[in-house]
Amino acid sequence: MKRLQENRIELLKSYLKNNGLSPELLPEILDHLACEAEERLWDGNSFEHAFKGIVETADPKTLQILSVEHNHLLAMEKTLNDIVFEGRNKSYGAYQLRKGYKSTMQRSVLLGVTFFLLVMLLPDLYARLTPDPKKEDIGFEATLLTVDIKPEATPPPAPIELPKPEPQVNTKRFVSYDVLPDNMVPEEITPPTIDDLQHAVPGQENIEGNADIAEIVPPAAEAPAGKGKVVETEAPKEETFIAVEQAPSYLGGNAAMADFLRKNLKYPRQAAQAGIQGKVFVSFVVGADGKIEDVKTLKGIGFGCDEEAERVMKLMPNWKPGRQSGNAVRVRFNMPVVFQLE
Amino acid sequence: MDTNTTSNEYVRGTLKTIVLNLLAEQKRMYGYEITQEVKERTSGAIALTFGALYPVLHKLEQEGLLVTESVEVDGRLRKYYSLTTPGSEAARTKTDDLERFVDAIRLLLAPKGLATE
Repeated sequence: MKRLQENRIELLKSYLKNNGLSPELLPEILDHLACEAEERLWDGNSFEHAFKGIVETADPKTLQILSVEHNHLLAMEKTLNDIVFEGRNKSYGAYQLRKGYKSTMQRSVLLGVTFFLLVMLLPDLYARLTPDPKKEDIGFEATLLTVDIKPEATPPPAPIELPKPEPQVNTKRFVSYDVLPDNMVPEEITPPTIDDLQHAVPGQENIEGNADIAEIVPPAAEAPAGKGKVVETEAPKEETFIAVEQAPSYLGGNAAMADFLRKNLKYPRQAAQAGIQGKVFVSFVVGADGKIEDVKTLKGIGFGCDEEAERVMKLMPNWKPGRQSGNAVRVRFNMPVVFQLE
Repeated sequence: MDTNTTSNEYVRGTLKTIVLNLLAEQKRMYGYEITQEVKERTSGAIALTFGALYPVLHKLEQEGLLVTESVEVDGRLRKYYSLTTPGSEAARTKTDDLERFVDAIRLLLAPKGLATE
């Protein structure tokens, strides 16, 4: 079998190229034509003759049609991206991005959904994976009970004391009469007789009273002229207040009391010898009348000082009593008595 | 020339079937081999031009009926075609179809008296 020389093949190649055969088809067609040329050489033709025959079968028009048909075939496979990027720089990156868009999108959605579900289910997974606590790990268990909270029953309001009905005497209707023409005088009204008024007093209406007429007090005696009835509500004696609205005070104020104490208080000799100083807290009750009662020492310093303080307290003249709601009341009063050596 | 063009007309319709059928027999062939095979078998009655053959081959390849492999022979790249599984299936059905069609054509073209016998 005769083989085509390299330069002959090159000749064929350039012929095909020059006639616009698409490069994708080139190797195949070249091989075909080369085979055909070899066949013709085998038959004893010269290369020039063979080449002529080839050019006859593979005329430029046929090659053109072949290329166009091939392109159409390829176009059917092409996507929109291939058409958009036809003849442009595909290696720039945008083509790759566009081409891979679908798969990238799918992957990202899948990943996103997986991640989201994982995050959502994490607490549940954690709860499933951690073992239940052991018996000895539990310090104590608290059981919850449902408690019905009932609204606190409000005590019923104290019954309102109805005012006692005022004593009512029997009355008899006694109407003053007007002089009228005969036809206008109402028939039924007749003045009460003496018998009627035996057990009743004249009034606007006939009322069956509930009090004896004999109990009626003459108005003069009932309401003495210019004198109101004074109601004195005395505080019970035994109640002793600690704090009152108006505290009891020494008549003449604190300065007068200080004077009194200076005048009467004697430093006990024992205490002076022992050099005792300090405060004696005395407590006493200022009675409702201002009298000092129930003197005692709350906290003393001894050496005769306590007794001396109590003695002087008892000597004090009556105080101005403390008042609560305007009433004089018994008030317990605490006072420090200071013993100080000069 | 005239007979050639008319035969080309018929060939165009049956070319796919011819190619598939040949490949089913020969397993793998290249373009020139196919044209030679057809020429030999029909003693030159049917001549495939490469301008008609290659578009069909490429179309079949795109449809997934054929696969190609390139082998370097004598310093040139030779492209071999072979059938895929759906390709061999298609070859069978198409050959059957063509045979039935040819029978029908024969009936049509036969003289009346002979046809009824």
